[in-house]
Amino acid sequence: MEFRRVVITGMGAISPLGNEVGSMVDAVAAGQCATRIIEEWQKYPMLRSKVAAPVLGVDEKIIPRQDRRSMSKMSIYSALAAKQAIAAAGLSDAQVQSERTGCVISSTIGSTNTLASSIEKLLPDYDISKVTTMEFFQCISHTAALNVANHLTIRGMVYSPSAACASSMQSIGMGYDLIRWGEQDRVLCGGAEELHPMVTGSFDVLYAASKGFNDRPQQTPRPFDRDRDGLVCGEGAGILLLEELEHAQKRNAPIFGEVIGYHTCSTGDQISQSNSAAMIQCMTTALNKAGVKASEVDYVNAHATATPQGDCAEAEAIRTIFGSRTPVSSFKGHLGHTLGAAGALESIVCVEMARRNRLFPTHNLKNLDPDCAGIDHVVETREARTRTLLKNGFAFGGINATLLYRFNDRT
Amino acid sequence: MFTEAEIVQRTNKVLVEYFEIEQERLVPTAHIFQDFGLDSLDTVDLIVALQKEFDVTIRDDERIRQLGTLQSIYSFIAAVQQEMNTPTAP
Repeated sequence: MEFRRVVITGMGAISPLGNEVGSMVDAVAAGQCATRIIEEWQKYPMLRSKVAAPVLGVDEKIIPRQDRRSMSKMSIYSALAAKQAIAAAGLSDAQVQSERTGCVISSTIGSTNTLASSIEKLLPDYDISKVTTMEFFQCISHTAALNVANHLTIRGMVYSPSAACASSMQSIGMGYDLIRWGEQDRVLCGGAEELHPMVTGSFDVLYAASKGFNDRPQQTPRPFDRDRDGLVCGEGAGILLLEELEHAQKRNAPIFGEVIGYHTCSTGDQISQSNSAAMIQCMTTALNKAGVKASEVDYVNAHATATPQGDCAEAEAIRTIFGSRTPVSSFKGHLGHTLGAAGALESIVCVEMARRNRLFPTHNLKNLDPDCAGIDHVVETREARTRTLLKNGFAFGGINATLLYRFNDRT
Repeated sequence: MFTEAEIVQRTNKVLVEYFEIEQERLVPTAHIFQDFGLDSLDTVDLIVALQKEFDVTIRDDERIRQLGTLQSIYSFIAAVQQEMNTPTAP
């Protein structure tokens, strides 16, 4: 069976470093860090990590109330990013509303803000009648996907493959599979997340959230750095419009890159610890499925969230496959860990970075952890032409995901 | 017990806060479906909001099916309030 080719024809971003693709990538290119102190979190005395990477300056009322009523922040971000992607791709309303256009958008969980406020209302008297219908629509796990589909009148396939921090990696991978198998011609793919102290707290309780930089937020997170002390939660939404190559060419769509490979696999016996062997299996299988040799990969965008154990495991896995010949960096030092949005937002930065013939460094990597050594860490911006790019995303539950992108000559 | 004016003011506040209806459109003859564009899901949430605002239990009250104009909501809340405060025979 011959699989169809899948290209990226549109991208949209609402991120901690800007609410469109261009401004976000410019900020990453300029070496900005989105981490800041969250004053409202001071009221949580047992929350040790008081920093995060928030989205700023979104005017939610751009979306009509009738559509917005079922949206929490993550759905608003997703809808706005999806509209950016559609505009960039030049899709007509008829194409968006065709049954051949799908929507695969995920998040780690439904709206944590609405979950928390609903439970606060419900609990004193166990009175379910205090919770509105719209709060339920905001809490359900496919809330971002359903709201984007409703807002844009999507009539194709809608999925939400929630897998914690690998959620949007799986969304892009699923969109890629749906198109190459012929199930859909276009899919809006990506992920979303919204900040809440409960989310940061879930990492804090596992000693995985950064807690030593509450007075110096710009210095955290620090992927691969000796002094890293955990991740910093971020929020936002990243949406890529994937399209079958011939459809894209027929309508003279802009082609930003091609998805050439994807794999996801489970570690199998770990719910929180990263596992190098599983990461190696994931990356190797993605390469094999794409028919790409490790030596053909020009750059690896690491998941590297700045947790002590996770960064070491990933560095070991990359070292095993690529040795020290392939440049590697992580964007968590710029954007924070946008969790369900991370795979998509970081993929978008990767695409634009390749288009600019640059490699962006790992922000806040000042003193390399010896346990993360042996790979080619990008510590300052390089000029480089990237043809083949490998992107990693890993998640609680032992979920591993790898995407392969190709630029220029094949598209 | 809320006065008639308080019922109007609190009901209108619900419509402004929950449904983003402009204050100047809140006249007694305005219809929540035809004039404000609310739908059946909004009606469910309007009932949730009115229960909270007036501390009443109305979600299983058959009369909510007849709600349409703002005046009908004001009158309904006043009637419910009256019934709650009417002592029942021993």
